[in-house]
Amino acid sequence: MTVASQVKQVLAALKGSQGTLRLYAAQTQEEETRAVYDEAVDTTTEIIRDLEKRLSVLEYQEPQYKGN
Amino acid sequence: METWVQVLIRSVAIFILLLAAVRFMGKRSIARITPFHAVSYIVIAVLAALVSANALINPVLGFISLGVWVIGTIALEYLALKSKWVHDLIYGKETVLIKHGRVMEQSLLKARLTGEELLRALRAKNAFSLADVEFAVLETTGDISVFMKSDKKPATARDLEIKTAPLTEPQTVILDGNILNEPLASLGLNREWLGTQLEKLGVSLDNVFIAQVDSSGELYVDLFDDSVQNPQPKVKEMLYAGLEKGQADLSAFALQTQDENAKKMYNKNAKKLEDLLKMLKPYLLK
Repeated sequence: MTVASQVKQVLAALKGSQGTLRLYAAQTQEEETRAVYDEAVDTTTEIIRDLEKRLSVLEYQEPQYKGN
Repeated sequence: METWVQVLIRSVAIFILLLAAVRFMGKRSIARITPFHAVSYIVIAVLAALVSANALINPVLGFISLGVWVIGTIALEYLALKSKWVHDLIYGKETVLIKHGRVMEQSLLKARLTGEELLRALRAKNAFSLADVEFAVLETTGDISVFMKSDKKPATARDLEIKTAPLTEPQTVILDGNILNEPLASLGLNREWLGTQLEKLGVSLDNVFIAQVDSSGELYVDLFDDSVQNPQPKVKEMLYAGLEKGQADLSAFALQTQDENAKKMYNKNAKKLEDLLKMLKPYLLK
């Protein structure tokens, strides 16, 4: 498994977690809890953005593995 | 009129009258009444029995007496609500039995309590050692309330400096296999949502005895069929584990990569995830 596909895996898992967090933020009743989940969604967004940037660099360096 | 007809009519009248009177006298529990209330309840009960069984020579007198006791009790209770003086008069005042860890023998004597009785009451409140008690008071109902020394009190989450997620009361959404619409609506959910959740758990509606939704929107079910292992929600635990795995992976990437910038980026994001996990822990793991 190449580095790029490993990063891709983590990225996919993070996106899944983010979706669950967003769901919780939507369905929770308390303001305080919702704020925590919203903040968590924001943090994961930042991390996902960084990882996507890194992924495009990796794919540029190893174009033969692109799409794996 | 024949006697049995008279007794019948009178009993029915007393029955309805007392039902109304008792409802008017409030929701006080029988175990928590003051001596004055106990006496007035007994008098009312005896009078009612005498009148309805036709044991009095002149039943009108019985009705008058009953009326005085019922109205008097209700009126006094109303006055007690309005005036502190009347309140103290009929309920009495509570007596401090232990202050700063010392037993007030004078108060014990006034309340006609023996040391034995005091110790028994303390034991009932889980205070087996007198040394653990800071303050105890004899309530007007005869109960003894105990305030433990601060180091003997049960530890709370605050004492342990553990952060806990705010929790409100769960709503019961299914009872006996029937969906309750009102609690479901108060959570902002609908029957379709419930249907999807049940499908996710793999149970049918007829098999659910009780289902509750907590404030974070998680469903807990109890099934009629007790041989089936209750499917319990594990989404939060899985979410936490997933984020934890992501954090570990990012740290691993930081170690593997040769690129300085990428290393920095991985480390920064691993740290971010770590902080995030710390923040989410009280909400996701219970």
